[in-house]
Amino acid sequence: MTSKFVNVLAAYLHVIGVATYLGGSLIMEFVVGPAQKAIPPAQAQVMGKKTADRFLWFAWGALALILASGILRLYSTNRESFLFGDSLFDTDFGRTLLTMVILWLVLVINGSIITFVLRPRLTGKTTAGASAAQAQAHQQGQMQAVKWLTWLTRTDLGIAFVVALLGSSLQFGGIA
Amino acid sequence: MDRWATVWAFVHVLSWATYMGGALVMEFVWRPAQQHLPPSQTAVACQWMGRRYRWVALAALLGAGSSGAARLVAAGQISLSPPVFGDQLALSNGYGRTILATTVLWAVMLGTVGLLSLVAHPALHVRMRSDMTDEERGAARSAVMKAIRRMDIVLRVDLVLAAVAALLGASLSFGGIL
Repeated sequence: MTSKFVNVLAAYLHVIGVATYLGGSLIMEFVVGPAQKAIPPAQAQVMGKKTADRFLWFAWGALALILASGILRLYSTNRESFLFGDSLFDTDFGRTLLTMVILWLVLVINGSIITFVLRPRLTGKTTAGASAAQAQAHQQGQMQAVKWLTWLTRTDLGIAFVVALLGSSLQFGGIA
Repeated sequence: MDRWATVWAFVHVLSWATYMGGALVMEFVWRPAQQHLPPSQTAVACQWMGRRYRWVALAALLGAGSSGAARLVAAGQISLSPPVFGDQLALSNGYGRTILATTVLWAVMLGTVGLLSLVAHPALHVRMRSDMTDEERGAARSAVMKAIRRMDIVLRVDLVLAAVAALLGASLSFGGIL
């Protein structure tokens, strides 16, 4: 029998992970992000870069923590069979869990696109000998990256909401 | 599946996540970023964020409190007719004591949000008049810096309180830890 300590620890780490990802994203989107408009553009750019760079680390850490603590929770409550058996497809609990795992994977893919494709495009600089056309193309690329970044961030937030709803339903048997 | 129980659980998770996530972002994302900005711009951004953050924090706390109470009502542990509190909420068992401690922490956090909104945040609003002497300007600037530091301390205390409350809350499914 798993000790109460492991049960509580797994649940606590899961809460911390969800709070960091979901709550952190909400605050970044609706409090920190809009505050950039209150200061001059040059400083707003520095603020946006520094806060986004730092939050990305937290978001990745939270995603890893959510997965690890989620698996630990299944084991500590003797529900690990849902991970491997037919019950993953045959029961409400299993289907809800499967949907959460798929959505978690979507968050990881979106996070990878943001981290490895869009962010480098935003922080990249034009070389000293670049022509006006090259500089303009670079600037347009950055504008496109900002648009995609905004869209992906909001999509991730929506997905995180759905995952939290599914997770909340698990203690009552799941809803999928 | 109990649909309402799921809704209350979701609101509870969302509210705590918002409150705790907010405190985490303020402490570990925004505070270190301030070092790269001029103090005057930090103060402006702090003012702007504080104005919105206090309402978000207040809504999150009220959401957590009301959904927590609704969950206890749904579980038959709180009722409007006597006896108001169910057996599990008795202080003789761990669950009841943990609920009591969480409620006390919730009330303290409500107090810190009040402190942020009514004391720490308004102290950031210092207007530099054109007729101020250099000394007065210097004093006003140091007052703003002091207010930012005070705000940082309150936010840090808030983060610790939220972390402890989350631990207590996480333990409730397993009978509480006190």
